[in-house]
Amino acid sequence: MSELMARMGEYAVSADRDDVLVGLGLGSCIGLALVDRRSNVAGLAHVVLSKGEPAAGDPPVKYAHIGVPYLLEQVVAQGARKMRLEAVLVGGASMFVSKNGLEVGQRNEAAVREALEKLRIPVVAVDTGGKRGRTVRVYMADGRVTSRLAGGPEELLLKPYAVGVAA
Amino acid sequence: MSTHFSDVQLDALRELANIGSGMASTALSGMLGRPVDISVPVASALPLAEAVEAIGPAEQEVTGVMLGIIGELKGSVVLLVSPEDAVKLCAFLGVEADSEWGLSALGEIGNIVGTSYINALAAMTGFEIEPTPPATATDMLGAIVATCLAEHADGTDIALVLDSDLAVEGDDCSISFLLIPQAGGVQELLGRLGIEA
Repeated sequence: MSELMARMGEYAVSADRDDVLVGLGLGSCIGLALVDRRSNVAGLAHVVLSKGEPAAGDPPVKYAHIGVPYLLEQVVAQGARKMRLEAVLVGGASMFVSKNGLEVGQRNEAAVREALEKLRIPVVAVDTGGKRGRTVRVYMADGRVTSRLAGGPEELLLKPYAVGVAA
Repeated sequence: MSTHFSDVQLDALRELANIGSGMASTALSGMLGRPVDISVPVASALPLAEAVEAIGPAEQEVTGVMLGIIGELKGSVVLLVSPEDAVKLCAFLGVEADSEWGLSALGEIGNIVGTSYINALAAMTGFEIEPTPPATATDMLGAIVATCLAEHADGTDIALVLDSDLAVEGDDCSISFLLIPQAGGVQELLGRLGIEA
């Protein structure tokens, strides 16, 4: 089993059952998983901000409005069917309650949802908001997606795909 | 805009952090009534994706105290303390770490230490800047640091982090101390110090 890390602004895509896609320690960032469980292809993007002007060396999925369509292209290139994709969102917390109204986490979630809606990809599970950081994992072996709080157990967000059962 | 820093610039920023953390250590020492040592700060200009792991393991549990910097230079000052060291710091102040007093004591340490750091920056650069009230969180290091980085990540592909350690002498207890300035402001700051690219 190998873990593919999606660090800030980065993404991981796989069609290999041995892989686990991981976004560690998401705070205000959003971990967006796009999963085609029948084709066994999935991608995970670590989105940092809702929108903005990308800088020259910026990683591809830093901004939601660019990153979501980009991740879609990558999973389709690996053999996913757009019609079958399901989206799971994790993160978007407000780690520090601030008075200046700069709720990066909430804006990130709204921007990712808006981009998914434009692409007509359904959001099937979420673990977002609140004040706590999370880690997201996408298991290629069976398409399950989990979320974990600091010091807590892994919680199942998207159930394993039953291999051989027609969808 | 791609933001890169020369070695000379990073040296100047390290020196700035050194003076700032010197002031911060004096404040901490006064508060705890114990001598406090400072390490030589590390100034890193890293791609955003690499910044968290340069500071520590993403899932490690820490208590973070964050102060915003507002005014002519925008940024954040973040203090990170391990759970064990949080217990020790609270004990120096005579409070239990896992009581409501504990978190507020750590917030107050962050406030005093962070404010003296920010004031030192203001005095050296002539910038009119002030700290926002401290906010505390105990959570994964990655979630705390990434959230602070994200606030200043727009328009730049480089995260600038100035990292110093404050160590309470003889007690094996330390605070990691980060300054995360907004990129545009750093060029201006370097200009004021007379350091060109």
